[in-house]
Amino acid sequence: MIKQSDGVSLSALIKPETVVFLEGNLSKEEAVRRLTEAILPQVERIINRAALFERVAQVEKLNQVLESGFYIPHAKFPELDGFHAVLGVMPEGFTDPATGLKVRAALLLLSPHKPTFFQRHLNMLSLLSQTFQPELIEKLAALRDPAAAAALLKGK
Amino acid sequence: MVPTNPKFKQVFVLSTAMLSFISFWKAASIVLCDFGSSAYYAGGIAMNAFGPAFPWFIMGVMLFSGLMLGVYTESCLMFTRGGVYVVVRAAIGKVMAKLSVSALIFDYTLTGPISSVTAGLYLGGLLSNVLPLMHINWHVPDRAFAVMFALLVTGYFWRENIRGVEESADNNLKIISFVAVVAVILISWAGVTIYHRGFTLPPFEPVFTEKALGWTTHFPWLKAVGVIGLIMAFGHSILALSGLETLAQVYREIEDPKAENLKKTVITIFIFSIMFTGLLTFLSALIIPGDLIAGKYADNLLSGLALELDGPYWSRLGMQVLVVLSGTLMLVGAVNTSFVGSNGVLNRVADDGILHDWFRHLHTKFGTTHRIINLVAITQIMIILISRGDIFLLGEAYSFGVLWSLTFDTLSMIILRFKRRDEEREWMFPFNIRSGNIYVPIGMVAILMVLLAATGMNMLTKKVATIGGVLFTMTFFTIFHISEKMNEKKAQLYMPDEDNDEKMNLRKADDISTVVPELTKARRVLVPVRNPNNLVHLAEVLETADDDTTDIIVLSAKIAKGIQSGGETMSDEDKEVFSAVVLLAEKYGKTVKPIFVFSNDPFFSMAQVAQAAGVDEIVMGVSGSTGAEIQLEKLAMAWGMAKKPDAPAKTVLAKVVWEGRQMTYQLS
Repeated sequence: MIKQSDGVSLSALIKPETVVFLEGNLSKEEAVRRLTEAILPQVERIINRAALFERVAQVEKLNQVLESGFYIPHAKFPELDGFHAVLGVMPEGFTDPATGLKVRAALLLLSPHKPTFFQRHLNMLSLLSQTFQPELIEKLAALRDPAAAAALLKGK
Repeated sequence: MVPTNPKFKQVFVLSTAMLSFISFWKAASIVLCDFGSSAYYAGGIAMNAFGPAFPWFIMGVMLFSGLMLGVYTESCLMFTRGGVYVVVRAAIGKVMAKLSVSALIFDYTLTGPISSVTAGLYLGGLLSNVLPLMHINWHVPDRAFAVMFALLVTGYFWRENIRGVEESADNNLKIISFVAVVAVILISWAGVTIYHRGFTLPPFEPVFTEKALGWTTHFPWLKAVGVIGLIMAFGHSILALSGLETLAQVYREIEDPKAENLKKTVITIFIFSIMFTGLLTFLSALIIPGDLIAGKYADNLLSGLALELDGPYWSRLGMQVLVVLSGTLMLVGAVNTSFVGSNGVLNRVADDGILHDWFRHLHTKFGTTHRIINLVAITQIMIILISRGDIFLLGEAYSFGVLWSLTFDTLSMIILRFKRRDEEREWMFPFNIRSGNIYVPIGMVAILMVLLAATGMNMLTKKVATIGGVLFTMTFFTIFHISEKMNEKKAQLYMPDEDNDEKMNLRKADDISTVVPELTKARRVLVPVRNPNNLVHLAEVLETADDDTTDIIVLSAKIAKGIQSGGETMSDEDKEVFSAVVLLAEKYGKTVKPIFVFSNDPFFSMAQVAQAAGVDEIVMGVSGSTGAEIQLEKLAMAWGMAKKPDAPAKTVLAKVVWEGRQMTYQLS
């Protein structure tokens, strides 16, 4: 899916330190807020906290849960030069109010807002939605260890 | 348990029969099967009305047809789905449109009887020559035979139209090709005959029979001489123009490049008409003795031409066989055209709410508008029986509808020059004077003058046409008027119509994969549509795609929440989208494959259809609510989700198009 020349792969993006387990009953907004909190250390030197939360909350309204039950809130920032992501695994999950779908995995993706990067941004979205099929999400939800979760995605 | 999410609830595929386009040759042959068939009877009818001057006037009418074809060319280029009703409604309004289409229905309805009776007369004439040679001494009066034959043919085409057998442009082309070959042989042989025998040109002065003068005998000042005589004779010959309306009906089917092909169609029709109807009628007058034209060959003139050529009897009889065979094929084709034309026009006006839905009830088995077809068949059978095979009676009545529909059409085109002065025209009828942004149509006004003169004169000279035509027209006008009032009431108390789904020629498919084998071209483009008023992207695809090599799949996905199987139906809004798609495809003359799906997610259905069909390109219109970037993001996610792990690698170009701009992305 993603071309080698694009220099992006899931295993490069999702490492043990970028996987968080969000326990308990959550709302969609709460899940996104906690994912934003989790990604902040990756980008805080470039984007300030308020701007990040504001932008993510803004685009979150436009993002849609996929039929597979995977959710990819994503936002683009001109300040960025590469992808940043955090994968949230939610054993209990939340029910998306718009579609009624149960969501047990979500990935917050931040991309550079540059015309030359748009193709790669779309490729990444496509790769994520192709990878996170219901079978994989089930396996992830059964885990409790970020390293194991990252290992599951190795080579993707 | 892993949840499964079926993505399509229902797949509907719009029938593509109406969206396949034809070459100009085929379009011309469809028109000629109706328009050209008058060659077999127009000369005899004109001779019966005003004597040996008839070939001049038939030739004159054929030359005039060139001008009328010009008027129709301008109107076709303005209205893809045109015809008298649409043009008159746009120019003068609904009341006059109802009146004009009523006259047109009279024309179409009479096309059946006049063609089938003529074919019967030609066949009868042939049998009376052939049977004695075979020592069969059966004698059936020609007219009785013609009536029986006409009833049989009408019954046959009634059944075929009830069963919904499509009119095949291929068959029309074969018939016209055969007729053309026969005509070339006949013209060549007639040329040789004239070369040997010499000739005397027919007199130019028409000599009217008492019957042909009609009510004018009550007006001593209205003498059938000079210009008035010319107009009278022209009016008696004008029935040879019948069938031009078929051009307006067939235009929507002409393939890309539409305007260019329309012009080629018109030129082909004109040349054929001059050579076939005009020249053969003229040669008949030069070769057949006058008394035989008025007597023995009055109702089968071209058979007479074949039999009066130079050569041994067997060869002339052989020529007659060819003439009768070609004539029967063409005339019988015209009977079918009369069914298809009447049905088509009545359905068109029904779409506009001026014909009650009762008439459009669909046959439970065949899905055809059987009540309209029955009405046409019953009317035609009654006309055949009342005429008792008298072709002159039928001919007299026939010109009423022809003339009125041509007059209304021309008048409307003149008005539209003023009413739609800013509309750019791909082609204009010549002889115009420019005044500001108006092209004053001097040429069309001259044509209208001729038509009005002939129409007025025919009202006085043709008693049967005037009485029959007025009665018929007023009956249909009343039906339209009452229907419109009833439909208006119905609209106020709107209830969903259970039949609506099927009137769109839809069929359900179990899965999108069942549609894929219907895609046969090398390149495939998927065009998702949603808003009938936002089809800029489809227009761009239609404008640039090569119809020979590209399948254009038009996808409309309706969001259906939750997954239950079956029971989904298309709403009127959904059908409106497809109607707009069909209209646009017709405008460009390019084939599209419209598919309608119920889906949880329109982007997923796009991706799934695109992957199943192996498209090369997806072209979307921009969404006003989200914008191009988000559309592409959604498509990218849907693309990944729909992608099967074992799917072959293929790069697909995804485009979002809006006025003057586009955004592209490669899906792989």
